[in-house]
Amino acid sequence: MSLETPLDLLKLNLDEKVYVKLRGARSLTGTLQAFDSHCNIVLSDAVETIYELEDGDLKSTERQSEMIFVRGDTVTLITTPEEE
Amino acid sequence: MSFFGFDSSHPPSGRNNNRHGKKNEKPLDFDDTYGGYDEEENDYLNSETFGADVELGNDFDFGHGESAPQQQPQQPIANHRSYVAAASQSIAHSHPNQMDPNADLKPMESLWTASQPQQQAPPHQGQVLSMEEIERQQRQMQMHPQGVPPPQGFTSGPAQNFNQMPPPPQVYQQQLPIPQQNNDGQFTNQYNPRMGPPGMGQPIPGQYQQMQPMFNQPPPHPQQQYPQMYPTPPQTYQDIPLQYQAPPPPQQQPLQGQANQPQHPIANMPNASQSPSTFPPQSQPNDFELQPAMNLRQPSQQTQSSSTPTPQSINSPMAQENARASPQLDNRILTESPRNISRQNQNQGQSSRANTKQSQQRREPMTPEEQKRLQIRHAKVEKILKHSGVMTPRDKDFITRYQLSQIVTDDPYNEDFYFQVYKIILRGGIAGESNKGLIARAYLEHSGHRLGGRYKRADIALQRMQSQVEKAVTVAKERPQKNKDHSGENSGREGVLGKISSSMNSKAPRRQLLIPTPKSNEDLLNSEDTTRESTNDSTTPALEEVTQHLGNVEINQKSKTRRRSSYAFSSIDQNSVLSRSGGRKFVLSQIETVYEEVLELEANLRSGKEIDSTLLWEALHIDDDAYEVCPFISMLSFDKGVKIMPRIFNFLNKEQKLKLLQTFFSELSHLNIIIISSYKTNPSPSDSQLKKIDLFQTVFLKIIVSFLSNNSNFVEIMGLLLHLIKNNNVSFISTSKIGLNLITVLISRAALIRQDSNRSNVLSSPEISAWNEIYDKLFTSLESKLSSIFPPPEYTEKVVKIMVMEQHAGPIESIFYDQSYIWQFLASLALSGKLNHQRIIIDEVRDQIFGTINVAEDLIKNVPSDDKSNAIYRREKLYQDLNLFLNVMGLVSRDGEISELK
Repeated sequence: MSLETPLDLLKLNLDEKVYVKLRGARSLTGTLQAFDSHCNIVLSDAVETIYELEDGDLKSTERQSEMIFVRGDTVTLITTPEEE
Repeated sequence: MSFFGFDSSHPPSGRNNNRHGKKNEKPLDFDDTYGGYDEEENDYLNSETFGADVELGNDFDFGHGESAPQQQPQQPIANHRSYVAAASQSIAHSHPNQMDPNADLKPMESLWTASQPQQQAPPHQGQVLSMEEIERQQRQMQMHPQGVPPPQGFTSGPAQNFNQMPPPPQVYQQQLPIPQQNNDGQFTNQYNPRMGPPGMGQPIPGQYQQMQPMFNQPPPHPQQQYPQMYPTPPQTYQDIPLQYQAPPPPQQQPLQGQANQPQHPIANMPNASQSPSTFPPQSQPNDFELQPAMNLRQPSQQTQSSSTPTPQSINSPMAQENARASPQLDNRILTESPRNISRQNQNQGQSSRANTKQSQQRREPMTPEEQKRLQIRHAKVEKILKHSGVMTPRDKDFITRYQLSQIVTDDPYNEDFYFQVYKIILRGGIAGESNKGLIARAYLEHSGHRLGGRYKRADIALQRMQSQVEKAVTVAKERPQKNKDHSGENSGREGVLGKISSSMNSKAPRRQLLIPTPKSNEDLLNSEDTTRESTNDSTTPALEEVTQHLGNVEINQKSKTRRRSSYAFSSIDQNSVLSRSGGRKFVLSQIETVYEEVLELEANLRSGKEIDSTLLWEALHIDDDAYEVCPFISMLSFDKGVKIMPRIFNFLNKEQKLKLLQTFFSELSHLNIIIISSYKTNPSPSDSQLKKIDLFQTVFLKIIVSFLSNNSNFVEIMGLLLHLIKNNNVSFISTSKIGLNLITVLISRAALIRQDSNRSNVLSSPEISAWNEIYDKLFTSLESKLSSIFPPPEYTEKVVKIMVMEQHAGPIESIFYDQSYIWQFLASLALSGKLNHQRIIIDEVRDQIFGTINVAEDLIKNVPSDDKSNAIYRREKLYQDLNLFLNVMGLVSRDGEISELK
């Protein structure tokens, strides 16, 4: 396949772990199952991390979801996760 | 006409004569001595041997034997008798005389031949003779000897005896291999009542004992028996003995069959009734008949039991009886007063008649006790006789030799396994429980010549090393010459133009130059790799030849321009592997291409269009030499790359599949899955990695197995294995679960085909030798590292911990590290290997074997009762896995011990 559009890069990472940064101080790590031209994405085995600032301290809570749909308008960044 | 009234004339005695004459010169030869008789006897015996009359041979039921004598011709009996008599007489005389070699050993022809006509008649009469007739005959016979002047008779007697002397020893020799007959039971029992009594009638104890030592095998219990048998000898009887004893054997000669037999029973009736070994208590009136019957059976049994049935062997039982019995009688006569003999002969008739009468009278009073004893004894004898003669002397010889051969060893200490075990048993006392483990251990350590123990192994390793050194030396010696012949000038440039491959001929043409590269970190590995490959070239030309011979398997990986590292540690870093195969992006895009192609092909398949897999094949980059690591291998490091494999395989033809697998096995070391499934490179696997391993196993391994079992032939499997061995660090691959599984699949499939082919004989000998070579290569690369295929406990614990974390539901205790894949591997490795391979395997994994057993035993020891079922299940599982391997070796482990598989 040829890499023509930016979303083609996303295609390469299908079925791979991706790191998705969302608006509202949230991030997701999961296996990319599907995406579309709007950047709506479906992740499996996803871990959502919600960052909060509480009394000057950065606190994070995690949420696990087996399958999650993310609306494309909240996605600010998609990349491969850092090596574990 | 003999001095003793011995019937020397009758056909058998004629042969006797012949035999004796020969015997004097040289050891007897059956065929020589028994000319024609032998043949007809053989036929008769054949029918017997092959079941024409089974009963004749082994069934010694004397109680029902009455009919036998009538059915059987009497002649043979007479024949036996004559032999017997001759034998007994001679042996009796010969012993006291110490077998004087100066004695005249020539048979007196006249004695043997002259009376022949006279003796012809009796045999036919024998059957119908009445008691009185018999006696009359006997007396007549005795008259003849009387007619002969005593001195002559006397002198001729000894002479005759000397002539006859050989046969008895001969008979003995013949009989010796049949222990039952010689030693106890049969003969002594038979003869005691029948033959013994005449001799022993009134035994003079002193003489008795004197006589005994003279014989190799004196009747085991004459002393005890005789006194018993004649508790109250009748007066008359006591008077007679001396006269009576000596003659019987000779006297028997003239009388045929019945005529012969009765005399003893009659004379010994009291004995017969008291010593029932031969005479059933209820058959008293028929005693005469019984005895012939027995005689008949004896010979037949004898012939059956003997491997060379000849008349001699037929006669031998009788002869032996006589030989046994007569020594005592005859010797006594001799020692007492040889001159009495003639007088005894004269009296013989009278005495025997008297005896007859007396015995008939004496037969009436038989107490119930006696009868009971008789019955018991009879039963005993029958028991003994029941299985006698089942084995031929040759059989017994064979077994003895066989047993003895087990004892013979160069290294008795280590090879005497039974002693080792015995030692352990001794040390541990009688309590068996604790010993069992020790015994099993001893078995593995000492296990004799088969598997070899600890002690043998050193020798073998040494031998192997020596042979390797030898080989290396010869190769080194040959090499310079080759260089001179083919490339003398090249050797001069060695080092200037890089390493020059030394072996050059038509089969192995000049290879690419191996230019030493600057020793950067990675290139160092590469150069190692190339040198390793080149050493492969030089050390295994035969292997290459074979693989070239294999045809469609192309091994010439080294001719590829792609330089590859076989060493895993350069492949540990997944990014490095990816970069060497074109980069992650490239590999991922190739995977996408493959998906596209597969989807298109599947669409074509559904719509019935033509399918062309060339694009797909290209997308796989199998043949692509542009990258250090084949992109295909890198594809497999992605889950989606693995997942698509079954769908790819649907569209590949056989050659493509084979090529794909060849590449796969060649570059196994680069395979990410190998690295993450090896406890060495990935000591603490993550959950996702374990999942990856699982996925790979269920998807890709399945494809390989199905390909191997459905499409591939032996040569192809060998080729794949060769790819694996030649281009990879096998010992590293074997530390990974996937790698071990892959090797297992290959060698077990090869073993299966080999077994199949054993039946249909499909494999050619070059194939088999190629296989052996490949197996040896595989084994050498694994040798001494076999124990490292077992992951350390820390690793398994980690794996189990992760599995437990994953599996929230379900009992945590039921999760354990499944080592069955290791035992499967060892089993298939051992299955394909030879004994010394198995020996080495066992030696190397001995600790693991016992470790597993210990774990299994510990499982059920300290486990609360509610977990019992799980523990038992796990224990069973452990044993099952272990037995996978042990069964190949013919062993089985059960309940904490190892025993031989039944």
